[in-house]
Amino acid sequence: MDRRHFLAGSAAAALARPALAQGGPTEFSFFYPVAVGGAITRVIDSYAGDFARENPGIKVTPVYAGTYQETLVKVLTAHKSGTPPTLSVLLSTDMFTLIDEEAIVPLDGFVKTDADKTWLGDFFPAFMLNSQTAGQTWGLPFQRSTIVLYWNKALFRQAGLDPEKPPATWAEHAAFVERLTKRDAAGNVSQWGTQIPSTGFGYWMLQALAIEAGEVLANQEGDRTFFDKPGVVEALQYWVDLAQKSKVYPPGIVEWGTTPRDFLEGKTAMMWTTTGNLTNIRTNARFDFGVAMLPAGKRRGSPTGGGNFSIAKKATPAQQEAAFRFARWMTQPERAARWSIDTGYVGVSRAAYGTAAMKDYLAGFPAAAVARDQLEFAVAELSTHENQRVTKALGDNIQAVLTGSKAPDRAMRDAQAEAERILRPYR
Amino acid sequence: MSGVPLAGPAVRRRPAPPELRPSPYEPTGFWRALEGLGAVLLALLWVLPLLFAVWAAFHGAEDTARLDLDAPLTLSNFRRAWEAAPFARYFLNTIVLVTLIFAGQVVLGTLAAFAFARYDFPGSGIAFALVLVQLMIMPDVLIVENYRTMSRLGLVDTIPGIALPYIASAFGIFLLRQTFKTIPKELDDAARVEGASALQVLLRIYVPLAKPVYVAYGLVSVSYHWNNFLWPLIVTNSVEARPLTVGLQVFAGGDQGVDWAVICAATLMTSAPLLVGFLLFQRQFVQSFMRAGIR
Repeated sequence: MDRRHFLAGSAAAALARPALAQGGPTEFSFFYPVAVGGAITRVIDSYAGDFARENPGIKVTPVYAGTYQETLVKVLTAHKSGTPPTLSVLLSTDMFTLIDEEAIVPLDGFVKTDADKTWLGDFFPAFMLNSQTAGQTWGLPFQRSTIVLYWNKALFRQAGLDPEKPPATWAEHAAFVERLTKRDAAGNVSQWGTQIPSTGFGYWMLQALAIEAGEVLANQEGDRTFFDKPGVVEALQYWVDLAQKSKVYPPGIVEWGTTPRDFLEGKTAMMWTTTGNLTNIRTNARFDFGVAMLPAGKRRGSPTGGGNFSIAKKATPAQQEAAFRFARWMTQPERAARWSIDTGYVGVSRAAYGTAAMKDYLAGFPAAAVARDQLEFAVAELSTHENQRVTKALGDNIQAVLTGSKAPDRAMRDAQAEAERILRPYR
Repeated sequence: MSGVPLAGPAVRRRPAPPELRPSPYEPTGFWRALEGLGAVLLALLWVLPLLFAVWAAFHGAEDTARLDLDAPLTLSNFRRAWEAAPFARYFLNTIVLVTLIFAGQVVLGTLAAFAFARYDFPGSGIAFALVLVQLMIMPDVLIVENYRTMSRLGLVDTIPGIALPYIASAFGIFLLRQTFKTIPKELDDAARVEGASALQVLLRIYVPLAKPVYVAYGLVSVSYHWNNFLWPLIVTNSVEARPLTVGLQVFAGGDQGVDWAVICAATLMTSAPLLVGFLLFQRQFVQSFMRAGIR
């Protein structure tokens, strides 16, 4: 009871604030994770400073909140205690979770003018798949990505492959990988053909393979999964065969965080990972490398990934409006282009690719356009109610297969059964 | 390397004091050698990750995974780690935090333990049972409720806000109560006959006799809060309040992959004060632990 009184009291206090604030600025805090290294916090701080100069009535306090998972924990804890940050960047796939927790508001109410509508309509549709449900928009794409294939041209040349021709199909990929793996006489491998990391985002990698095998992992309503479909099992079989049958892929678990380093050190000739890595690889690679769309099975494809802006429900209308203006300002074409160039994430709107800065960048570094071009084939990232639990069930079973303790079909049946159990109450 | 002496307490048995008769329980000959070998093996296993951290921290990123003894040594990892976040401030915050918590725990714990050990007041049994119940509850379960309390008190994003939920430590109260109970009542009575007040008895008799327990408990408390992560992460937002562990997170990796060299440098840097402290006072610590019966 007293909790409710307290909330009512704080709401009243919060409502009283705009009246007080007529003289002072509207203040709100902005929680964001950094998936791309330490210096980025300074970039965000400088954006907030620029925004404050252009909008003297609004004061943003950016708070660096750790990884995506840690940011989610912080935001939900603060939300349950009644004082969430007004604006936060969270995984687009946590949309259903945030809606179920009544933590965020739909953004359609803030889109008023024609200019607003044009801006909202200009985001790539592939990114909006994880941002909209039941006709409402809940998130604004910010640092979004797809999975791409990076290949080391020098190692391709050494193996007698055409360094300008990445594998275009699963069959080609498997054949190339075979030639790119180096073994000594005793069978010890000094260089792997490819790495598809299986920790952290194992479900994401499997989803890419499943899409290429012609399946989707979940429905658009986020209350039904299809982990045990034959195509998904086939996708997992392809993955595990690379390790266990042809032995061209490291046995066991491949760490998400160290895969880029293995690629940079030449321990693997190819890797599948996010476009968010592009700038890192470009800065640190001491060899020629290429970026390609993922090889096709029945079709081409990759899930999208990354984070969206969301606006908290428990905030004053003035704060929500201010947060929306800041998010809109952050996703303007020039800034989206700059962010993409600085990090490697995909520019979130078509207009970002029309800016002069982006055109110059792409002219000098065409590899950066691959992720955008792949959007045509991209589908929504796996996103369900209770997303963290469902993806964990899937991720654990993928790892069980890669370590050899379960067969692919059995693991996918187990994952599906677990997901069914979690999702049944939401139908 | 600095890691090796760490193996000390586990490996080196202190030379047996000259006794008239050898202890019948001390293993001799082959068994003694076997025991020594086992201890060395375990100590080596334990120290390996630390040795790797030292190796990675002092070598360039390209030599991290290559065990080449000629590889050039470098301090640049430490410089990069130091520049990646305001570590000086984080060190200060952590030191203030652990001092604040330990001071609070000692004062509250001593007073509460004294009351539970020597006074029979109405409801003392129930009150002590409640304290014990707190021992059974993982602090992580209370995060939302604690956050709500801190935000009501206006202490979110402050160092006292991180410290407050830990200041009344059930473990500390329990430990001190058990220790105070073992102190002969006669000492207490004698002091009272001499005219000492309750507080004087506590400060002159009980506290000095429980010193090893305070040292052992201090080590447990300080190292726990030095390393605590989840609660400080949630309750702090700014550089002014964040402790080291949360500051370390800028190296959490994410989409650009993990740079082991810098992570190891940062980890060594942040755990150095504890490691050095332990090395300097290891004998006192080990003795305190034996006397206090905490393992």
